[in-house]
Amino acid sequence: MRYLLWIAATFCCFLLQGKLSVLGVAPNFTILPVYYAGLRHGETRGLLAGILIGFFEDSLSYSLIGPHLMSHAIIGYTSAFLVSGALFRWTALLGVIAVATLTVADNIIVFAAKSIFDKVPALFSTVVYTSVMQALINAPAGIFLVSKNAD
Amino acid sequence: MSRKKALLPIVVIISFILMTYQSKKGHFGSPAQISSLLDSAHKTIASLTGSLSQPFKRLALREEENTRLRQRVDELLLERDRYLDAVLENKRLKELLKLQESSKTTVAAARVVARGTGHWEHTLVLDKGLKDGVAKDMTVITPMGLAGKIISVTDSFSRMLLLSDINFSAAVRVRETRKEGVLAGTGTRTCMLKYVPYEEEIKTGDVIATSGLDSLFVPGVPVGYVSKVDNKGLGGNFQYIELTPFQDSSRIEEVLVIR
Repeated sequence: MRYLLWIAATFCCFLLQGKLSVLGVAPNFTILPVYYAGLRHGETRGLLAGILIGFFEDSLSYSLIGPHLMSHAIIGYTSAFLVSGALFRWTALLGVIAVATLTVADNIIVFAAKSIFDKVPALFSTVVYTSVMQALINAPAGIFLVSKNAD
Repeated sequence: MSRKKALLPIVVIISFILMTYQSKKGHFGSPAQISSLLDSAHKTIASLTGSLSQPFKRLALREEENTRLRQRVDELLLERDRYLDAVLENKRLKELLKLQESSKTTVAAARVVARGTGHWEHTLVLDKGLKDGVAKDMTVITPMGLAGKIISVTDSFSRMLLLSDINFSAAVRVRETRKEGVLAGTGTRTCMLKYVPYEEEIKTGDVIATSGLDSLFVPGVPVGYVSKVDNKGLGGNFQYIELTPFQDSSRIEEVLVIR
């Protein structure tokens, strides 16, 4: 049942990502289940969620398989350390900062991987604008995605 | 190093191997079932929200629409009279020159069901696919002008690459002066007109249309107008020309796929 919920939540993220647009920028919601998996269940499950969701996203983009897989795996893995109590104590503000930072990091990894192994996917100014917008859209989710170590 | 800590470097190394392999040998094909599942969900949501919001929209817009349409009918009647002579003259001249009408064939009228999931790709998912006759590299237009081209097709859905995508390019020409160039997407609202030498005179406001010289796009489809010309060396050996497409990529709802 729990796995079905995870699949449904991830599917919803993909659906919303394809439907919503804020000032011409589509959100990057798929990072949220990966972040939450790392936050709640540790680095191994975070990594695994990142690999699966990243592979799914790569498959849908009809281009290089690997950039999202790698970026999401890194995000899932690092989110476990960032806010699970190993390095920091979870607070709502830290959650917001972590989600925003990891969203930007995800974009940077994808952009770098695509630029190196495929072709430059967008102008640098577009990358900066998109990353900042996606970070701002995702940031409030950091308040609600609560670590199990939270007070 | 503990087993857990070794996992991340292993995943990163595998990703690098995977991407290096694809950069050498070409991309792996994407499993059509995965995207079809998501595209079907998009279509269901689109039709659901459409059927729910349609009656309310209709009510709100009816009065305004009626007034506007009445004005428009009057304008069009006047306009029609003015153009009738021109059309007849045009027809006569075409017959004289034995020119044939351009053979634009409409393949399908499609509805946009979603945007592509890639962060940087400017793509849209259309609700028509192989079953409706849509094929890769077909031209996609709207009443405003060129919108993009088909880049992948499944049985029931297809994906179009928008003009604004950085990977988009098309052979175009200035409608009046017939000067040629290459249109390229920039990832923003505006596009670039490339490879126009300095000696060619391009003015702001010039209308650009597809030339068909790339054997991909149907010739004569309006693309946009020149919004900025810089011939002071910003574009290297060629002029730096910015073009604003007639069709705003963020407002596309219905399209025509033609060949």
